[in-house]
Amino acid sequence: MPPAIHPVDLLRVLRHQRLTPAIVFLTSRRACDEAIASFEHRQIPIPPTRSAAITQVLEKMITEYPSIADHPLIPTVQHYGVAAHHAGHLPSWKVAVEELMRQGCLDAVFATTTLAAGVDFPARTVVITQSSVRKDRDITELTVNEIQQLAGRGGRRGKDFVGFVVVTPSPYIDLGPIANGLTNHPEPIDSQFVVSYPMVLNLLKAHTIDHIQPILEKSFAQFQLNQRADAYETKLDDVERQLEAYGQRECADWITQWQSFTLAKKHRSHHRLKTRHDPPEVSARLAFLTPGRVVELSKDHAIVLRQYRSRGQGYAMLTVVRSRGRIVEYPANAVTAVIDEVVDVAEARKFPWCTPHSLDHAIETLEHFPTRLRRLPIRVDQDGTTILTETLSDEFPCPTCPSRPACQKDHPQALKLRQEDHRLTKTIHALRTELWHRFQQHVEVLQKFGYLTPACQLTPDGDWARLIRINHSLLITELIRMGAFEGINASLLAGVLASIAHDDDRPASFLGRHPALASTLGQVRKIAHSLSAYEEPPLLRWDIAAIADRWIAESTLPWSELIRSTTMAEGDIYRLLARTLEYLSQLHGLRATHPGLADVARDAMDLIRRDVLQELP
Amino acid sequence: MTHDALATQLADLPVRLLHHLAKNRVPRHFRMGKNRLIQSLLALSPAQQAEVATALASLLQEPARPPKPEKSAKPKRQPDAPSRQSPPHQRHSAPAEPAISTKILFEGIGVPPPRPFKPDDWQQEAIDRLATNDVILSAPTGSGKTYVAVEAMRRAIETEQTVIYTSPLKALSNTKLTEFSQIFGADQVGILTGDRRDNPQAPILVMTTEILRNLLYDAASGEIDMRLDTLGLIILDESQFLADPERGVVWEETIIFAPAQSRLLLLSASIGNPDEVETWISSIRSTSCHLIHHRNRSVPLRAAYLDPSGKLAPFFRARDIAHGKGFAFHPETKRLFANYEDQTLGPRYRR
Ligand SMILES: Nc1ncnc2c1ncn2[C@@H]1O[C@H](COP(=O)(O)OP(=O)(O)OP(=O)(O)O)[C@@H](O)[C@H]1O
Ligand SMILES: [Mg+2]
Repeated sequence: MPPAIHPVDLLRVLRHQRLTPAIVFLTSRRACDEAIASFEHRQIPIPPTRSAAITQVLEKMITEYPSIADHPLIPTVQHYGVAAHHAGHLPSWKVAVEELMRQGCLDAVFATTTLAAGVDFPARTVVITQSSVRKDRDITELTVNEIQQLAGRGGRRGKDFVGFVVVTPSPYIDLGPIANGLTNHPEPIDSQFVVSYPMVLNLLKAHTIDHIQPILEKSFAQFQLNQRADAYETKLDDVERQLEAYGQRECADWITQWQSFTLAKKHRSHHRLKTRHDPPEVSARLAFLTPGRVVELSKDHAIVLRQYRSRGQGYAMLTVVRSRGRIVEYPANAVTAVIDEVVDVAEARKFPWCTPHSLDHAIETLEHFPTRLRRLPIRVDQDGTTILTETLSDEFPCPTCPSRPACQKDHPQALKLRQEDHRLTKTIHALRTELWHRFQQHVEVLQKFGYLTPACQLTPDGDWARLIRINHSLLITELIRMGAFEGINASLLAGVLASIAHDDDRPASFLGRHPALASTLGQVRKIAHSLSAYEEPPLLRWDIAAIADRWIAESTLPWSELIRSTTMAEGDIYRLLARTLEYLSQLHGLRATHPGLADVARDAMDLIRRDVLQELP
Repeated sequence: MTHDALATQLADLPVRLLHHLAKNRVPRHFRMGKNRLIQSLLALSPAQQAEVATALASLLQEPARPPKPEKSAKPKRQPDAPSRQSPPHQRHSAPAEPAISTKILFEGIGVPPPRPFKPDDWQQEAIDRLATNDVILSAPTGSGKTYVAVEAMRRAIETEQTVIYTSPLKALSNTKLTEFSQIFGADQVGILTGDRRDNPQAPILVMTTEILRNLLYDAASGEIDMRLDTLGLIILDESQFLADPERGVVWEETIIFAPAQSRLLLLSASIGNPDEVETWISSIRSTSCHLIHHRNRSVPLRAAYLDPSGKLAPFFRARDIAHGKGFAFHPETKRLFANYEDQTLGPRYRR
């Protein structure tokens, strides 16, 4: 059995059942073109009156869009009443096919699923041959929404009593997702909010930084984040109610109190076992010499990063950070005093035994310590048992407390609840402030590059950079500031912008290399690479740049000649040049501050807009 | 697992899972059909084949996704959303109704006689609501959302207000430019693109949503060369683009910064949570937003299965497609598809 029905047989069945006109969704542009081509070999022409009607519509379209006139598919359309419609075609051709379809001239249009998105294009029947699509070099299953967009084109209001979906198998099909997509309710949609540099600049142009958060809160993104946060709040309320049920105890924060108390107890007994050889004054201190603890080392302060035992003798050792960021190892008995001060240090498994951020923080804290700090009173008993005077009785009233039995019983469960409480509080906070954080991260980058002042106002550079509202805006504004476009000509500028704008890695080839272009692109690539921490670099394909460059440099070059010089589909070239126009128009928008560049951009735009690129706005 | 055992197992898999297995192992696997996929998987090095076998075993163990085509594929999204239960098509022990015949499936095809145009209730309601509210209209493809847009435009320009209509695609903007020009006259409609302005003084302006977003940013910083204070109506067509991974943010920005005095009309294909969008817009705009959710298709839809041999069968047991009630494949379709899967894989791998 063939892996899929032959297009001609498909159409025969559709005609026989009166299911035409139909849109046949195929997996690739190539499949569409081959389907059309196959009609040439199997002669089943439509009646001459219908051919005449098609010719009439086409003639009318050609007066409006002359580029249609030479389209190689025209004879097939006229003879067989079928057409292909996909992104490889020029927009004018697609408009013509849509018009033919609206006029009821065609029996079938072979299209890729991109057609589903928002083109006004109904038919009696929709033929589906696939349940997955290729998206960004990956195969993804069609969603319910996508299947309903496809199927929705079946059945025209006012022209059909009933519409049809015909499912016919191909190697890309699985019936489950299709049946599901046809019968299920559509999926809910989610916000896809992203913060971009132009967004930050434009918001800060019109508002001061303290007005930004309320604006971000108006987004659908925040609305949905808040809904999630609200759900967590409900959970949190519940946890807090459970915690309240434990009632009043002697101390306000009995959970922490009890936990420290049990920990201290554990530490002490643990201590006594493991540190039998330590002299009493050392073992008394060890419990306190934990990461973050501030200590005095011969009149200087230091912060403990880790405690360990020396390999040979098993002496208690410390790694500390001292003034000027020196990281040093000492035996614990070098500590002259333990300070009543603990710095937040996130531990790590490797040197310097804490996260880089914590280390910076520790060093910074050290610098700012006053010379005299409160020492922890640690008394050493003769038998080696440590007792904390003052602090012990201050901190741990537990041994004699009337709540003690209740605390002991409730602690495990209460601690779990409290941890849950903290976790939820943190999550809720993160959800509520996520967008704001993302915004701030962008602000920091823009400050670093000098588009924003430390007070978050636009610098003179920021004031024009905000007008570049396209992808890769940071690269483009940096190129402008570095003077990369100084003295550039129109075609080279268009070439560079085309290669920045083009984000498709479908292979194409273009004959002839162009040294000026190659060297400029090399420079751009270096800069793009240096910015890669802040902005995803574009593909910067030189073959793409060369196409745009040639179209502008050779102002009499006919379109047909341009498309012959590359393997790229003409629809793709058209889109490339249209996007280049968009990018150029953004540079043209800088005429107040960069008149020279704006002029070159204007020239390039005028040169692009000829031939087929003039047919549609 | 032996080579042959693997071959048999692979042959039983739907193509989707084969792609899954081939990912990162077989170059350009997405170009291949089922046979080629299996061949390529079997041609991998023994080490890689072992990997495939392991991956396969774990796939087969996933209880929710047995590798039978009719049962796979549940939407990946939140389990809490309505009607995500697995369809009851497997329970055909006591079907309520007998499966339909092919003849019945194709009954009633034809062109209805011309009728004078009469707006549907939901269309009229949307238009009326716009007098006092922002409106989000969610209706299936092809049900007539454009009519609402056109009537709303008419009302706006009758009261000397201007209208901006945005679409996600330049191609669609062009179609709409032609359509609106035919209705209102060419002098009444203009179009703005990044580099071109045709008739920008016209009361109705067509543009992509990005262009409108840029206009709104310019207006916010006080440097607008277009009058936004007479802007009475903003129509955002294909608003389901709000969920587009790359461009969705533009719809959000546009809605957030839309002038307070302009009415918003959002036209959207069917989505699962238009009420959520409604609540959101109401919460940030001075006038409340009203949702019109029209779920039913204007033209009933039926589905057929076409075997490569040219044989047609009803796709489902029931004739008209209904939503949210699960589905049951027509027995004939089941049989034909099982046969198709066997045959397209059989000869080479079931020796
Ligand atoms: N009340 C009505 N009675 C009969 N036909 C109608 C009615 N309203 C609209 N139509 C017709 O329905 C067809 C489809 O309408 P339209 O293009 O507005 O669909 P849509 O909802 O915008 O779909 P899409 O999601 O594809 O954009 C048009 O041909 C239109 O003339
Ligand atoms: Mg529409």
